[in-house]
Amino acid sequence: MMQCIFLLSDSGEVMLEKQLTGHRVDRSICAWFWEQSIAQGDSFKFMPVIASPTHYIFQVFREGITFLACTQVEMPPLMATEFLCRVADVLSDYLGGLNEDLIKDNFVIVYELLDEMIDNGFPLTTEPNILREMIAPPNIVSKMLSVVTGTSSNVSNTLPVATASCVPWRKMDPKNTSNEVYVDLVEEMDAIISRDGTLVKCEIYGEVQVNSHLSGLPDLTLSFANASILNDVRFHPCVRLRPWESQQILSFVPPDGQFKLMSYRVKKLKNIPIYVKPQLSSDSGMCRISVLVGIKNDPRKPIDSITVEFQLPPCVLSANLTPNHGTVNILASKTCSWSIGRLPKDKAPSLSGTLVLAAGLERLPVFPTFQVGFRVMGIALSGLQMDKLDFKNLPSRPYKGFRGLTRAGEYQVRS
Amino acid sequence: MFTQFGATAESLSKASTMVFRIGTDAHLYDDPDDVNIAPLLDSKFDSEKCEALKRLLALIAQGFDVSNFFPQVVKNVASQSIEVKKLVYLYLLHYAEKRPNEALLSINYFQKDLGDTNPLVRAWALRTMAGIRLHVIAPLVLVAVSKCARDPSVYVRKCAANALPKVHDLRLEENTAAIEELVGFLLNDNSPGVIGAAAAAFASVCPTNLSLIGRNYRRLCETLPDVEEWGQIVLIGILLRYAIARHGLVKESIMLSSRDLENIASENGASDTYQKGNEDSNAYFGLKESNADLTNGVCKSEVVDIVSRSYLEGPDKYLSKHRCADVLSSELEGLHFTSAKDNEDIKILLLCTSPLLWSHNSAVVLAAAGVHWIMAPKEDIQKIVKPLLFLMRSSNSSKYVVLCNIQVFSKAVPSLFAPHFEDFFMSPSDSYQVKALKLEILSTIATESSISSIFQEFQDYVKDPDRKFAADTVAAIGLCAQQFPKVANTCLEGLLALASHATDGEAIVLLQAIYSIKAIIGKDPSSNEKVIVHLIRSLESIRVPAARGMIIWMVGEYSDIGNVIPKVLPVVLKYLARCFTVEEVETKLQILNACGKVLLHSKEEELWAYRKVLSYMLDLARCDLNYDIRDRARFIKELLSCYIGSSDTEEGKAQQESRDVSRVLAGRIFGGQIKAPSSEQFSARFYLPGSLSHVVLHAAPGYEPLPRPCSLNFEDPSINSNIVEGAKRPGDGATQSESYTDDPDSVSGSLNEESTSDYSYADSIGGSDGTGGSNVSSSLSEVDVHKEPLIHLSEVGYPNANPDGGSHVDNQYSGSNNLGELISTRSLESWLDENPNSGHNLSEPSSIRKSSARISIGHIHGRVEPKICALLDPANGNGLSVDYAFSSELSSLSPLLVCLQVSFKNCSTEPMMNLQLVEDNKRQDSSDHASAMTESSSHGDVPSLVPMEEIANLGPSETINIMLQVRFRHHLLPLKLVLWCNGKTYPVKLRPDIGYFVRPLPMDIGVFSAKEAQLPGMFEYTRRCIFTDHIGELKKGDKPGTNDQFLVICECLAVKVLSNANFFLVSVDMPVSANLDDASGLRLRFSGELLSNSVPCLVTLVLEGTCFEPLNILVKVNCEETVFGLNLLNRIVNLLAEPARG
Repeated sequence: MMQCIFLLSDSGEVMLEKQLTGHRVDRSICAWFWEQSIAQGDSFKFMPVIASPTHYIFQVFREGITFLACTQVEMPPLMATEFLCRVADVLSDYLGGLNEDLIKDNFVIVYELLDEMIDNGFPLTTEPNILREMIAPPNIVSKMLSVVTGTSSNVSNTLPVATASCVPWRKMDPKNTSNEVYVDLVEEMDAIISRDGTLVKCEIYGEVQVNSHLSGLPDLTLSFANASILNDVRFHPCVRLRPWESQQILSFVPPDGQFKLMSYRVKKLKNIPIYVKPQLSSDSGMCRISVLVGIKNDPRKPIDSITVEFQLPPCVLSANLTPNHGTVNILASKTCSWSIGRLPKDKAPSLSGTLVLAAGLERLPVFPTFQVGFRVMGIALSGLQMDKLDFKNLPSRPYKGFRGLTRAGEYQVRS
Repeated sequence: MFTQFGATAESLSKASTMVFRIGTDAHLYDDPDDVNIAPLLDSKFDSEKCEALKRLLALIAQGFDVSNFFPQVVKNVASQSIEVKKLVYLYLLHYAEKRPNEALLSINYFQKDLGDTNPLVRAWALRTMAGIRLHVIAPLVLVAVSKCARDPSVYVRKCAANALPKVHDLRLEENTAAIEELVGFLLNDNSPGVIGAAAAAFASVCPTNLSLIGRNYRRLCETLPDVEEWGQIVLIGILLRYAIARHGLVKESIMLSSRDLENIASENGASDTYQKGNEDSNAYFGLKESNADLTNGVCKSEVVDIVSRSYLEGPDKYLSKHRCADVLSSELEGLHFTSAKDNEDIKILLLCTSPLLWSHNSAVVLAAAGVHWIMAPKEDIQKIVKPLLFLMRSSNSSKYVVLCNIQVFSKAVPSLFAPHFEDFFMSPSDSYQVKALKLEILSTIATESSISSIFQEFQDYVKDPDRKFAADTVAAIGLCAQQFPKVANTCLEGLLALASHATDGEAIVLLQAIYSIKAIIGKDPSSNEKVIVHLIRSLESIRVPAARGMIIWMVGEYSDIGNVIPKVLPVVLKYLARCFTVEEVETKLQILNACGKVLLHSKEEELWAYRKVLSYMLDLARCDLNYDIRDRARFIKELLSCYIGSSDTEEGKAQQESRDVSRVLAGRIFGGQIKAPSSEQFSARFYLPGSLSHVVLHAAPGYEPLPRPCSLNFEDPSINSNIVEGAKRPGDGATQSESYTDDPDSVSGSLNEESTSDYSYADSIGGSDGTGGSNVSSSLSEVDVHKEPLIHLSEVGYPNANPDGGSHVDNQYSGSNNLGELISTRSLESWLDENPNSGHNLSEPSSIRKSSARISIGHIHGRVEPKICALLDPANGNGLSVDYAFSSELSSLSPLLVCLQVSFKNCSTEPMMNLQLVEDNKRQDSSDHASAMTESSSHGDVPSLVPMEEIANLGPSETINIMLQVRFRHHLLPLKLVLWCNGKTYPVKLRPDIGYFVRPLPMDIGVFSAKEAQLPGMFEYTRRCIFTDHIGELKKGDKPGTNDQFLVICECLAVKVLSNANFFLVSVDMPVSANLDDASGLRLRFSGELLSNSVPCLVTLVLEGTCFEPLNILVKVNCEETVFGLNLLNRIVNLLAEPARG
């Protein structure tokens, strides 16, 4: 089981330590960790499990904050990783983001949360809904109150009733003035387009996000028109697994508020909404580059927030790039970012220019990979369709809303 | 004024963050000690207390030690404010162990809170009380836990289950039964929430007591989907272990598939290609072509076999024995199988774990997949593939762990993942490790149909900016090309293009490309002649020495193949000869070799030309700076003298013969077919899926392989549970010896052997048996009564002499001749031996010991003389000489104090006045500030030096001895003191000796072994050193009849250790072997406990070597205090290694 949790800032400072068991872990292990990560660079930063001379370290890196858990004995590594991810999720939910200042400013809450989330190295309460009832998130009102009155308590003095119920994710009997439920299909499209323009792989990772404000203990049933296209699925604990097994129906008692009901994957898709055609030709210390962007299969909904990003190879000295639409920025990390926004009606956006290579280099040895970003509102490109949403146990019919959204995930075009 | 405005942007953003931070605890974190905390703690307002506590927490978060506030904080436990309470608890848990006495003060409040009507208060009180971890209150906590285990609130019951491991951690023997009973009780709970926590408690308290599970197995399976996610992870593992221990492996599962696999393969039409692949090379287990027939699941039989055995036995054990494969297989045959189709228990386990494959917790999915992998019938394993692949989406950190597991699955059953090869294509966010794993998996699961798409991908990866990854890709291409001869040509073309285009900065890619080409050509050299020629042509442009070396190797190896190569050969050789001098060493060596081979293979007509080139090169090499090359040249010259020197004048017959011999020899050396190393598959280690050990690739402490199939056999669990419980606890002395009696033949066998050996102790064994047996303990205290060493063969058998259960089996195994008998008893033993530290067996000397005798060295204490160190030299102290020696006496004042015998000697002719040693008061720097505060704030603390009474007068050449009590704050740093004499001060330094930070802890060997077993893994430190003192001692002791060599060695060692450290000598074991000179296996054990906190500390010395040679000693220290243990180990090693004075 985990013996200690450390939170490190992006400069390697130990912001917080929480000892979990009797076997204390000295914080010098963080110094060791940081030295190693400086010495070994990125490949170490992404090692989720590290065997240090004295402990095994599990690492999760989120928005500049490094979460470390240490243990000396055998335990499922994913349990530690998953737990640290939950901690990161809960903290960023509570603090409205994650960074060094936020954690330092709210260190008491972080401590209180950690204390509720883990006991003796074993996760205790990780359900955000219950945590919210036990420890109040910091908000403007409580901040102002504390300034004015000097007294505030963010620790609830009663045990959330849900800890005892069979639906621990739901507050008991919440009273909502609004009686509504929104179901969103949020999809990310991953695609690989090879050098010769063929589609190597295209798949969609999607989530069914539900925002429910219903009173009482409602029982919902959601069914899809074409559930058979779903390749892989994962569910929120509230989903009853048997009905899905037999009929592919989602039957659940929803938590209150926003949550992720289900995630799924649809593989082997054939249609991509936009194309990006990079062309690079390189000789005599120069490289000419031109990139064309256009619609490939019209999703019949507007595509916006189109961006094309690529990393300039290290041997490029300078770049001169001009677009006929949108703006180009070259960041300090040699990332070149072309933001197009919406596709103009009259012309196909293109980017052209030249790269100057380092002295002595005749040709560009490696060509960059282009990352494409876009967003299509109002449609789930996987083609998944919701059939109907039924309610039981509700005094009045609530308002229902459905939406779809697709954006680019890892949408890469090789050159 | 205006300059202030100049800094607008920055100060504005600062100001805005300041506004934003108002009302948070930011200022507390930034300046936690800008106010005096102590008065705030005593304030009557909760808000001020809160603030003070928050400041303390901030200090803890920043790594400061604020335990000196403990007494004041503890008082606030009584607060009614729930927030104050929470903060106090947080503080208390952090420091309770450090301040046990004050922590005790809080117990009453916890007791009161346990009766509170608010379940939250009850739960918190229980959690904190158990978290304090004091031995004294363990019984109280246990009562509280058993009360809370029956609490109406689910949350409180859950916390009770969580508290059990905390109590168990204290390792109080008398509580074990009660704790296990409570675990059983809580496993019976109605609420799934409690069951999860109880499962976690079970896993850490009594993971082997599977009979507890037996009672509830079905119910646990049924509630599994409702248990909360973290509990599910643990519970799945427990249920799997139970099912295997109770019912054995499933005969349709992958675990047992290797046995009938051959049948499947030959029945299938695929056998043709299969065999062809096999003939080509056995080296790569990825050779067999999967026929993509999923339901039949073509597995890699060897891999599956190793995997399943490693799961069952732990890879270390398996690897150490894998040579006796026949024994093992017969052993596996004897396993009991069950069928997933008929067995209800296994059916229900699989049924209830399959929905968990959809869990949103990746650890749950992986655990469930592990169960199916091991238990499910082969045709159902397909089920785990998609969930596992989906796991890769969950987060970047889990991706790596999941891939590690998929890697093994795919190695064993490539067809499982073959259709999903696209999932293993790289994504830009992958780290290098993930990419490398994906590459390996891709090259494992490639099939005829997918190989072309995979190659397309590989071609893109070769252009990746990460050149290391590109090189790995090239290696993978080589691997695939060897598997699929159809694509070999395409691969070769690609690789050749790569090799010729590679620029200088790409050494690793180039090297890997040439290596892959070499491997591909090696499969079919004759049809790839053009490629070789092409490579030879590019020699000029390739400048990487290793790559050149490989090409030159090919020149030599394939010099007689095809038509073109022999033609270009003379030119090539000339070219090589010309550039020989400018080559790197490795290339030069290859050139010499290649020339040798060419000469060997050459036909008569070219012989002369080659001979000339070679002798030219040999001449060059003989003058080379590098001696490796000179050696090689000499060697080749000798070896090929018959070829080189055949034009010389005619030789005699004898020379003719030797020429024939060397011709054959040369043919063997240069013409021998090099086998690709086939050890790769055997060195692969497999651990249970989803385990930490599997990711780090060594057995982590606490890793246990699967239980022995069908080892849990009982009719009525309620009756037999106690027996099973007893038998399953590793390190339990009683049961170990019990298991030993199962095997009487091997014991008596070794006994006989012993008596027949001409062991010089034979007389004394018999003679002292009567007295020695009973007097062991007394002989230690009555030092002078027994001058004669007492020897008694206390344990003839091995188990007790070796606390490490793991190697005990091996020993027995090698000691006995009758393997059949062994195997029958092994099933019980493997239960006993599933101790967590099987990974550490490697450090045990592997020599075969049949039995050992235990001797006691009675008069040793007479010879122990503490080392005397000088505190003040007479030259520096105006004739005053002060010496000190660490004393084995214990301070009566405080356990933190160490006693020293200080002797003041006046070497001058005048009397000396007012001698006194006092603490150096000048050092009040910041580092000591905290400790000074500690002293002032709390009672009962100890100063660095107990004030010593002044010596009023010290006459000329008079000596006064004084007992000094000192507290060293640090194990290693000297303590600065000031010596007053005649009104003058002398600064002196007292150097601590870590050996005296312990006091002897008398115990017998049984206790020692038990304690040792409790301190495995991280608490065990070993080092080796060479000991030479005994040689001189042995030479001195001339009376061979009275003094035995072993005794002398033991005494030497014991005296040396005891003279430098305050330990108790527990036992001396010596091997009873036929070889008189062999001291290997001699084992000394010492025990002590730390002065400050009574943590036991065990030292074991194991000897290797022969009596009159320097001995190799393995020093092992077991101690919970990591830093102390390591320091002590270093001290002992240095001590033993340094030769004796005089």
